[in-house]
Amino acid sequence: MNSETLNTLDTYSKNKYKYGFVTEIDDERPKKGLNEDTIKFISLKKNEPVWMLEWRLKAYSKWKKMKEPKWANLSFPEIDYQDIYYYSAPKGFEKKPKDLSEVDPKLIETYNKLGIPLEEQKVLAGVAVDVVFDSVSVATTYKGELEKLGIIFCSIGEAIQKHPDLIKKYLGSVIPPGDHSFSALNSAVFTDGSFVYIPVGVKCPMELSTYFRINAENTGQFERTLIIADKGSYVSYLEGCTAPKRDDNQLHAANVELIALEDAEIKYSTVQNWYPGDENGKGGIYNFVTKRGLCAGKNSKISWTQVETGSAITWKYPSCILKGDNSIGEFYSVAITNNFQQADTGTKMTHIGKNTKSKIISKGISLGNSQNTYRGEVSFLRKAEKARNYTQCDSLLVGNQCGAHTVPYIDSKNNTAVIEHEASTSKINEDQLYYCRQRGLSHEEAVSLIVNGFCKQVLQELPMEFAVEAQKLVSISLEGSVG
Amino acid sequence: MNIQDNYLKNKKNIFFSQNKDVQNHREKLIDIFENDRFDKKNNESLKNINLKNFIDFKYKYLIPEETSVINNNQENSYSIVSVNGQCSSYKDDKIEITRILDEDYNDFSKNHTIEKNDHFVNLNSLFLNSGFKIVIKKNNNIKIKISNIITDDHLTIFQKNNYICEEGSSLNLIEEYENKNNSTSNILNVIKLDKNSQLNHFLIQDNSPNHNLIITSHSSCRKDSTYTQKVYNFSEGYVRNFHYSELIEANSEADLQGIFFLKDNNTSNNKTFVKHLAEDCKSNQVYKGILNDRSKATYFSNTHVDQVAQKTEGYQLSKGILLSDNASFFSKPELKIYADDVKCSHGSTIGPIDENAIFYLRSRGMSKIAATKILISSFINEELSSIDNEQMSEIIQKKLVRYLSKVK
Repeated sequence: MNSETLNTLDTYSKNKYKYGFVTEIDDERPKKGLNEDTIKFISLKKNEPVWMLEWRLKAYSKWKKMKEPKWANLSFPEIDYQDIYYYSAPKGFEKKPKDLSEVDPKLIETYNKLGIPLEEQKVLAGVAVDVVFDSVSVATTYKGELEKLGIIFCSIGEAIQKHPDLIKKYLGSVIPPGDHSFSALNSAVFTDGSFVYIPVGVKCPMELSTYFRINAENTGQFERTLIIADKGSYVSYLEGCTAPKRDDNQLHAANVELIALEDAEIKYSTVQNWYPGDENGKGGIYNFVTKRGLCAGKNSKISWTQVETGSAITWKYPSCILKGDNSIGEFYSVAITNNFQQADTGTKMTHIGKNTKSKIISKGISLGNSQNTYRGEVSFLRKAEKARNYTQCDSLLVGNQCGAHTVPYIDSKNNTAVIEHEASTSKINEDQLYYCRQRGLSHEEAVSLIVNGFCKQVLQELPMEFAVEAQKLVSISLEGSVG
Repeated sequence: MNIQDNYLKNKKNIFFSQNKDVQNHREKLIDIFENDRFDKKNNESLKNINLKNFIDFKYKYLIPEETSVINNNQENSYSIVSVNGQCSSYKDDKIEITRILDEDYNDFSKNHTIEKNDHFVNLNSLFLNSGFKIVIKKNNNIKIKISNIITDDHLTIFQKNNYICEEGSSLNLIEEYENKNNSTSNILNVIKLDKNSQLNHFLIQDNSPNHNLIITSHSSCRKDSTYTQKVYNFSEGYVRNFHYSELIEANSEADLQGIFFLKDNNTSNNKTFVKHLAEDCKSNQVYKGILNDRSKATYFSNTHVDQVAQKTEGYQLSKGILLSDNASFFSKPELKIYADDVKCSHGSTIGPIDENAIFYLRSRGMSKIAATKILISSFINEELSSIDNEQMSEIIQKKLVRYLSKVK
């Protein structure tokens, strides 16, 4: 490495996390630790019906018998589940504010710092935002307009109250509580998250978006998101995160379930920029997310797009179960790890129906001392006639202290299905760098250009609202970091 | 009978069982088996294996009566017949063959590099009852052909072979496994290549349906050495090909290739693992499989690039053709990379024979079966045409024709 590279690496490593601040709000929470009382407390606070409590307790009894999955290429200290608060809601939030003026001004300020002024967004962006601050939805905007179309977009807590039939039918149908220990944990203690239902034939006119934000030290966040797209409908959902700087590790185990019925399409985009820990690997969010979509009906489509730049530990595999004939699953991912971050992320495409198609594009960039793993499974079951998969996963290494790993699992049980997989790992091409620099770009600009080109295939899949933010994130991640 | 009882009962027939160190080592291995119990769920390398054959086996071994023959028919060319995994000692100024029993056990027992959770390697160490060591002396160019013969039904052979290529030597090694009896062979080859040496290793496997073959190799390459391995698996019985290779000094090369032809209810497990531990090394892992009827196969490939192994080139390719509805193929091409100046890639495809290609051939008047056969041959043509040994090429062509005659 030349001295310039070292210099730029050095300046970058000193870049502090921009969004590290804490909003001081009184918290109301149960005692630390996980037991049946905690679950009853949560259920009571959320004013839930009995069947929901029973569902939670059943999941909890399953969780007690389970061990954390250990196969991922991650190392982190044992999680002490008894040392975590499972519910934290800003005081007085049992009664929801009717409009933004009733919301705690400090909260509004927090969002302003993050660059999502609610009021402005309401008018300018045309996005309905269901904001989650810690565990309770603060405000849901644009509700009326969505209601006219029959679209339900609310917090999961509200949905349990108002739409018990849909919840009973679909909650846990894609990710059964007993699937693995994190899904059982989430099922037992989830506090909030979004619920979306798009009725038959409705194309949702705007991007639905939730801004998750973890506050309050030692609070694990356990969101549960459920999106149902009924026959012939379409919805695009955005999720984005930034979290304040903390030294204690925070646990995050969300579950996201998508269900696409006949001819329906769901597009789910994520930009994740939670606190990754400092330059020595201290602190940061532990992110254990289960995301799974079910293409239940014919000709349905589910598309996952993710930009992962934050979290100390990322354990995330947005998957598609392609059950309906002709259904399509897509996965686009950019994962950037720096310092001591560890990411083990990828996807799982299970082809069950005939003529199902899936496409996986994954780009991993490792810097500093980080470890970045792509782990994906593509399987064709016996009846997946003429199924088709194309997978491409590329890794870029910057510096020789980091690691890039690719672990694909490919399983075909059908002789008419075709699967293609390719992967490559390399450093930034010297010739390309030379070419760019020759034309007057600085070293950093050149690298930024090349890396942006490297990620472009994925970034262009993001909706407009996110594309800008994501590109900004990528270039911030690269600022001064690469040589 | 469990593994421990089996071992204790047959202890007196097993090599080195009087040696204290060996006893200690084996007791540890027994503990591993007791604790793990071949946990299929957490050990994907056990996928598709009918474990019963390997855990509850009846130990049986016959010490071969006649000593094996070594022919020096042409200069620099040797034919070795290994009977029940053993062959007699031989020595001239170019090569030296010794029985494994005459070796110092500690020399080859301390093989930490081979994956610790490979149960079949552990079984081999536990029940070791045959094997030999071949040393190719400095700067010699040698050809060796080994025919592996098993004399009786239901034998359990646990064989360990050491191959050492001294500096500047070159070895062309052809191994044939063609057994028609219902035995089980568990063979571990430990291969050491010294500076600037070269080993071309061919393995032809063609066993009958009830013969199990488990073959594991571990090669380590020093500076400027090259190890090339080509496996042709035509067996109708179960075959496990696990091959580990370590590039421990600069500018060395490992090339692990294999083709398997499966039909009926047969299964085959394959694995290649290359560890790059020095700079400027190259590796290549290519496996191709053709699966018919209800056959199943797995292929794991892994390229591990250490932090010091800059300027590495490591490539992997896995291709499978499924000829029947009931065949299945699982592949897991893995990359683990800790150095930044590398060029590594893998590719993997599984699918049927290209319909357009079949259409092309049929539109020129060929029957569907003939077209299929031509396309299968062309699928592996690259590998077959690269065989520079005429005699071997003929043998493999014949076996291919035999396999294709069953394709419908």
